[in-house]
Amino acid sequence: MKFITAYAHLKENICAVNGEMICRRDKDSGDSWFKQIYKQQEFVYPKFHKMDVLSQAGFLTSKLIKRANPQFAEKYKDDEIAMLFANQSGSAETDQKFVHAYRNGAPSPSLFVYTLPNIVMGEIAILNKWYGESLFAVLPEFDPEFYINHCHILLSAGSEAVLCSWLEIAGNQIDVFTFLIEKEGENRSEFTADNLSKIAFAGNLHKTEINANY
Amino acid sequence: MTYIGAELMISPLGKTTEENRTAMTANRSGISLIADAGFDHQNLFLSKMTDLDGPGKFTRLIIQAVEAIRNEMDDAVLLSERTIFVISSTKGDPEQINDPFNAPVSAVQQKFNLANRPLVISSACISGIVAINTAHHLIHAKLYDHAVVIGCDVLSDFVVYGFQSLFAIGDTPCKPFDAARNGISIGEGCGAVVISASENIFKNAPLQLLAGTTANDANHISGPSRTGEGLFRSVKKTMEKNGIAADELDFISAHGTATVFNDEMESIAFDRLGMSTIPLNSLKGYFGHTLGAAGIIETAASMQMIRNGILFKSLGFQEQGTSKALNIVSGNTVANPETILKTASGFGGGNASLILRSL
Repeated sequence: MKFITAYAHLKENICAVNGEMICRRDKDSGDSWFKQIYKQQEFVYPKFHKMDVLSQAGFLTSKLIKRANPQFAEKYKDDEIAMLFANQSGSAETDQKFVHAYRNGAPSPSLFVYTLPNIVMGEIAILNKWYGESLFAVLPEFDPEFYINHCHILLSAGSEAVLCSWLEIAGNQIDVFTFLIEKEGENRSEFTADNLSKIAFAGNLHKTEINANY
Repeated sequence: MTYIGAELMISPLGKTTEENRTAMTANRSGISLIADAGFDHQNLFLSKMTDLDGPGKFTRLIIQAVEAIRNEMDDAVLLSERTIFVISSTKGDPEQINDPFNAPVSAVQQKFNLANRPLVISSACISGIVAINTAHHLIHAKLYDHAVVIGCDVLSDFVVYGFQSLFAIGDTPCKPFDAARNGISIGEGCGAVVISASENIFKNAPLQLLAGTTANDANHISGPSRTGEGLFRSVKKTMEKNGIAADELDFISAHGTATVFNDEMESIAFDRLGMSTIPLNSLKGYFGHTLGAAGIIETAASMQMIRNGILFKSLGFQEQGTSKALNIVSGNTVANPETILKTASGFGGGNASLILRSL
């Protein structure tokens, strides 16, 4: 059996951990939405400010998942936690910024290094000193079967846990869902396609409720 | 056992595997000086398919690859529900900057009426090796019986200007592992292999695929580890997983981009692995660095070495230029390599490896 032992949603206006909202966007703030979360959660990692939006989203949601499961990182060796990330448009958000930079001045090396979608996994590996397996796929939409199949493969071949993420950011649209799969998880949801869909979709319902209520 | 065959290379050296092999046998390079290619209109050494023009070249190259590879295997495999296409690319279609993968993948699926949506792997320069390993895992898990793995990246201002901004492009055709190396020659091309649980689907006898692992350096997003940690770990695990010892390896097809730091890192990792005496090359001197296609094109070239009993010279290498010695092949060598280790390393700290073996 495998379990979804923790998860985080990051949407246009809300950030939630295990279904509980922890931060709501302040539209009047001078800070970017992701920086608002960083400050409010009192994270300290100066490299965060150099990251592109995909890496910032991966940083925030993986940190929140670790905070919700403080014992998780210590349970495993440094190469036993795999990463399985996917989205629809690769690094298109940062790619467009890089093109804008060279059409209106010069190519920016600090932007260019983020024009690959797997960089977010590199940032999380550096943050945690993880040397495990990693895979980034581009899919037409969030697909529970993709995560089920590839977690099965990873967990049968030496990995003990998989940090998964769907992270799609296009302009103002933010759809980030990061979740942790482990082989043991008392009182946690079993890792099935149905449960994963329900939990993933709960973030959308949450957003609708928030918009309606506030 | 997992079988790998029907290898294809499309590059400036030729549109067929035979043309590419003939060019490599003659130590001919696909790299040439391309006028007005750089951000400030500099002439740059690139491995450019000069006859590949017009819109949609990414999709056209993949379609060309599928049309070639379908003749190398059983007719039923292409359209089977038990066949998955895995596409490896770093940038997809550079003309569709806001959604570079989905339209080309849909076009390929529709053109050939494929039963399953192709899976796109985009893990920087290790994508090709990751794609082949992933194809193996999907077959081993019995989710599919066959996989067509295609790696493709095309040249664009985006990629050229980007590597220029990092001062990573060499001012000569690239010289992997050489003392005078000073950077990459970016390239374009397409490679393909077919992977299957069945030996009988191939027109020509396949080889054995001993799939491997990936490991992150956990060190830097755009610079290789000083200790080669990720490459060391990936190769060590790939060897252990397949029960292969270093003295069973006849050859290493390394990544060898010809940047100062990458090649140095590889020499340290291979030294730590006790592999510094195993004959080794980088194929970047022939194809340039074709990014998401590199792992597949170089795997295909390695398969050709096994089939044809030749070790291709590491083009561009003259004098040892790494702190740890490597046994770099400085001239074409008649040999009978049976077991080849293929490695790749890339941005994001990724490292990947796999092993090819004759049956």
